[in-house]
Amino acid sequence: MPGRQSRRSVLATIAALPSAAALGACGGGTSAAVATRGTGAAADGGGRRPTRITFWSALRGSQDVVDAFNRTHDTVQVDFQQVPAGSMGGYAKLSNAARAGNAPDVATIEYPQIPGFAIDGVARDITGLVGDRLRAALLPQALGLTTFDRRVFGVPLDVEPMVMHYRTDLFAEYGLPVPRTWAEFEEVARTVRRKAPGRRLAAFATDGAPQFASFAWQAGAQWFDTRAGAWNVSFADAPSRRVAAYWQRLIDQDLVVVNAVDGRQYDAQIGGGRVLTRLSGAWEAGAQMNARPAQKGKWAVAPLPQWSPSAAVLGTHGGSTFAVTSGSRHPEAAMEFIEWQVSHPDALRARLAGGTSSQYPAAPGLVAVGRRAFDRGYYNGQDLYALFEQEAHKIRDGWTWGPRMSASLKVMQDGFARVGGGRGSVIDAVRATQRGTMPDLRALGLATTEHST
Amino acid sequence: MTSPITTPASAPSRPPVPPSGTSPVPPPAAASARRARRHARRRELGACGALMTPFFILLVTVFLIPVGTALWLSFFGADQPGLGFGPERTVFVGLRGYTAVLTDPTFLGGLGTVVLYCLIYIPLMVTGALALALLLDSGVVRLRSWAQLGLFLPHAVPGIIAAVIWLYLYTPGLSPVIDLLAGADITVDFLGVHTVLPSIVNIALWSNLGYNMVVFYAALQAVPREVIEASVVDGAGPVRTALQVKAPLVRSSIVMVAMFTLIFALQLFTEPMLLSQATPMIGSRFSPSMYIYDAAFTRNNYGLAAAASVVLLVCTIALSYGVTHWSNRVGAPEEDTR
Repeated sequence: MPGRQSRRSVLATIAALPSAAALGACGGGTSAAVATRGTGAAADGGGRRPTRITFWSALRGSQDVVDAFNRTHDTVQVDFQQVPAGSMGGYAKLSNAARAGNAPDVATIEYPQIPGFAIDGVARDITGLVGDRLRAALLPQALGLTTFDRRVFGVPLDVEPMVMHYRTDLFAEYGLPVPRTWAEFEEVARTVRRKAPGRRLAAFATDGAPQFASFAWQAGAQWFDTRAGAWNVSFADAPSRRVAAYWQRLIDQDLVVVNAVDGRQYDAQIGGGRVLTRLSGAWEAGAQMNARPAQKGKWAVAPLPQWSPSAAVLGTHGGSTFAVTSGSRHPEAAMEFIEWQVSHPDALRARLAGGTSSQYPAAPGLVAVGRRAFDRGYYNGQDLYALFEQEAHKIRDGWTWGPRMSASLKVMQDGFARVGGGRGSVIDAVRATQRGTMPDLRALGLATTEHST
Repeated sequence: MTSPITTPASAPSRPPVPPSGTSPVPPPAAASARRARRHARRRELGACGALMTPFFILLVTVFLIPVGTALWLSFFGADQPGLGFGPERTVFVGLRGYTAVLTDPTFLGGLGTVVLYCLIYIPLMVTGALALALLLDSGVVRLRSWAQLGLFLPHAVPGIIAAVIWLYLYTPGLSPVIDLLAGADITVDFLGVHTVLPSIVNIALWSNLGYNMVVFYAALQAVPREVIEASVVDGAGPVRTALQVKAPLVRSSIVMVAMFTLIFALQLFTEPMLLSQATPMIGSRFSPSMYIYDAAFTRNNYGLAAAASVVLLVCTIALSYGVTHWSNRVGAPEEDTR
């Protein structure tokens, strides 16, 4: 083990040499001292020493949750550290800490990144630690997303069915029906463009590979499949091609805006009513309330349009899980904390005390808590949680994220960005993702196949 | 060098004896002289060693060991069989990493980008720097030292700062340049699909033009004045003198500048890395160096990163060798005719 670590740290040093930019990107260098703190505190605790574990998260309200846990528990105490969001350096920080041997006991990982961290040996196989009670408390589709090869690598906190957030006032103004199918959605998009040339029904997110994944998931795509004992990768399978062709048509007919949804441009489009709907996870209802209090009463949430309404299915968009790290010396204590976090009403109450959130808990037993805490005023009294509950059960089981999902999604977004710049097509970007993913997996030594429909 | 006549013909292998006042040296004195010489040689070797050790230490620690590590990492992997969720074991993986890199369209695309970048950047750089140096040398430019300082100053700005400055000038909404052009009804997107590479070339030119100009200017200073005078007497104008007399005489500097520029250009990293934060047109695997960085630090794929590094190193060495070889071949006949 030490040999491997030193080898990798040497490489890390070398690779950082060519430019100072690399140093800027490795912002998480100060994490080394954190993990040792817990054991030090435990040592001078005297007679009844509580087990101290460390916890990293980028989720809002985590400090409140940890405080509530520490107040009500004697045998386990949690040291919390707020870390940057995964894509903003949080994942790099976790990988580096694990390599250096000072990862936290409990880390927060989003669904798409679970298999990568499991393969890298950062997330521990916790199959034996997930008891029947916890298993029964979670939505099976959610736990399915953290289970690979019949081994569990993470415990879901929230699962976010994709829904359609829409402007009720503008829908009424233009006499638009709420679309139930994608065909109706296209029709409505055409009407919007005709009646209000300055507005569009929706945005095609050039930085939104996770949204596109959710569309493909709903349509029946299977980008990754591990059932045959190898990673089968098929980004451009028939359902994905159908989704790509659909959005390409909307783009070609100028029925949607094509730009990034993370940034000032899109903020202005939503704030100014130039985009009438957003297709995203349930969590965005709360995010919208926090970001634009002035638009109170102008939004509602509807189910995502379907390909065939008789067999309604969905993908998810967003959501987080908790993993115990391989280096943790107290996996049982870590699991106790995780189980409490995802299934105890006090945990959700504490989290919601930190600010408005419309996250949909992966434990159905907590939905009532979320519903009670959520202020319905913004959405004209609409019972969002009833809708989310109905939608969560439509999440199609069997979706699998891939071993290097961040990188795959980035390649896809590089392609989408070119579409936004007027070069290439949506399906080109999807095919490029396939080609850009395979060398990575092969170089990792994984068994791979490329069967597709 | 002493002439061979002063040393005995019977001992050609012995180092020549420096001429001294005393004639025929007796054997014991010869021994002591030899000892003194050996001592001097040892001191010389010691000085040699002391002066060269830092170089070799650096060569070993920042070049040979990293290259060795990269080679090792590219041939051995910590593998988990099948889906990858089992325990790791280190195995020899042969050319797996190299096959993966060379079949990765994102890496090959990055190589293509850098080739295109070199084709635009190197000719601009060499001709631009040479033209400026010839202008300075011809005496057309007034306030020569100020012009020299002004052109050289950007090189003193670290690459990362230069990229930040230009990022500011390229970003719509922030940039006074774009505002100014918009005032004249010209819309430019410096970070668009087609403009992003020229924008990077511009940053690199701004940073390095002055430095290379100084190299050329120094070489031009060494051109014998008689040659220039002769050409003037022969009736060559200043342009003809510059292009047909001075420029060929600094050919070796041109080759050197072209080669260094090529080596640095192949490692294109800082400028696109920073600009990538402002434009989605620069992906995370824009150039081979960015590919390596991405493979190692966001994909945690060290075998792949190591293989890509070795491929880039081999390309760089091959190209440098090619340039040197080619310029020697082209240069040789010229030397002969002179």
